[in-house]
Amino acid sequence: MLGRYSLYAVLAATLAALTCVGTNALVIQQAPVKVMSTIEARIAKAAGEWNACYHNQEYGPRAEAARRANPDSIISSMAYDLSDGPVRVSGKTWPRYWSISLYQQNSNNFFVRNDLELGDANFDFVLALEDHDTSELAGETIRSPTAKGIMLVRRFAADADDMPGIVANQEQMFCGPA
Amino acid sequence: MLRGKTELVAVVIGVIALVAASYWGTRTYTLSRLTGQDVIFETFEQVDETWLYSDKIGAAAASDVERARVAIGGPLGLSSKEAVYFVSVTDDQGNPLRSQCTYRVSGGSIDSRWWSLALYDSETQHYVPNEQNRSSWNSVSIPKSDSDEWVINVSPSPQETAWLPTQKAPEKPFELMLRIYNPSDSLRAALPNIDLPKVERVSC
Repeated sequence: MLGRYSLYAVLAATLAALTCVGTNALVIQQAPVKVMSTIEARIAKAAGEWNACYHNQEYGPRAEAARRANPDSIISSMAYDLSDGPVRVSGKTWPRYWSISLYQQNSNNFFVRNDLELGDANFDFVLALEDHDTSELAGETIRSPTAKGIMLVRRFAADADDMPGIVANQEQMFCGPA
Repeated sequence: MLRGKTELVAVVIGVIALVAASYWGTRTYTLSRLTGQDVIFETFEQVDETWLYSDKIGAAAASDVERARVAIGGPLGLSSKEAVYFVSVTDDQGNPLRSQCTYRVSGGSIDSRWWSLALYDSETQHYVPNEQNRSSWNSVSIPKSDSDEWVINVSPSPQETAWLPTQKAPEKPFELMLRIYNPSDSLRAALPNIDLPKVERVSC
């Protein structure tokens, strides 16, 4: 009798340990994905839909910004979903500082390029999955490791006086299906 | 092995209860390790008494825990190819930064395209609301001397120049984040041991 209960106790301890290890790994792995999904939903809602850009046009700290966001960086954002094909992002850079950065679904920043690296005041990128044929599309193709993700364009605003120029720059952007 | 239906039912209920308790207990514990105040900085490198540094923001090389903590506490940061991040939660004596104290943050030229120093409430991990709508100073907006030296006055009370307001409520922890965009090759080669701003407590 005691032997059987001892066996139950060992099995219970093993099961509890396996559940703990599995849950710990699952929570840690899924946390970035969950955060990305939440932010994507917020961006898509603000932009009106997926594969469209939302432009922050307010200088300084904003209550609705992400945690620890930089108030000196004015951001255009797009939640993209490449399931139905490639997506284009194009426009003009901003001379103080401009960069485009892309985040896959686990939150890794898998691509970033700034205006100096671009060497041109115009940019034209096509976001695509590995199996998308983009040979007929103009612009530089960027391959996203995941169908969904986030695109950010950052522009440095030294102060509020930069905002009219930044807003005009934002309005020259195109974000949408390629 | 099992003697009777009653014992079988007891074992099944026990297994379900055990798995559920283990799952919820571990989930709660793991989330607390990912979301607690300042946990995002636990894996940052201590550069000196004041500054912490990480080159794993947004990086594929980050560990799963680092990635999860950054995603929760400061999502969508740039990889170190583009920008580098330093964080301070203590002054130059190693004392925690507190809202009721006044600090003098001073520095010189930082060899980069631009930089910004922002202040966040450590509890909310957000900006500190203030009438000035001021949560940062940057390399262009900060008043500088002829030799490019600058001072930012961090305080709950108005300051004559370059005021960065903290909360009026006492004993609120806060942090300073220095972002350096497009650091020069020489600065990048020296990372993280570069000339960083000094954070001195003036009064409390």
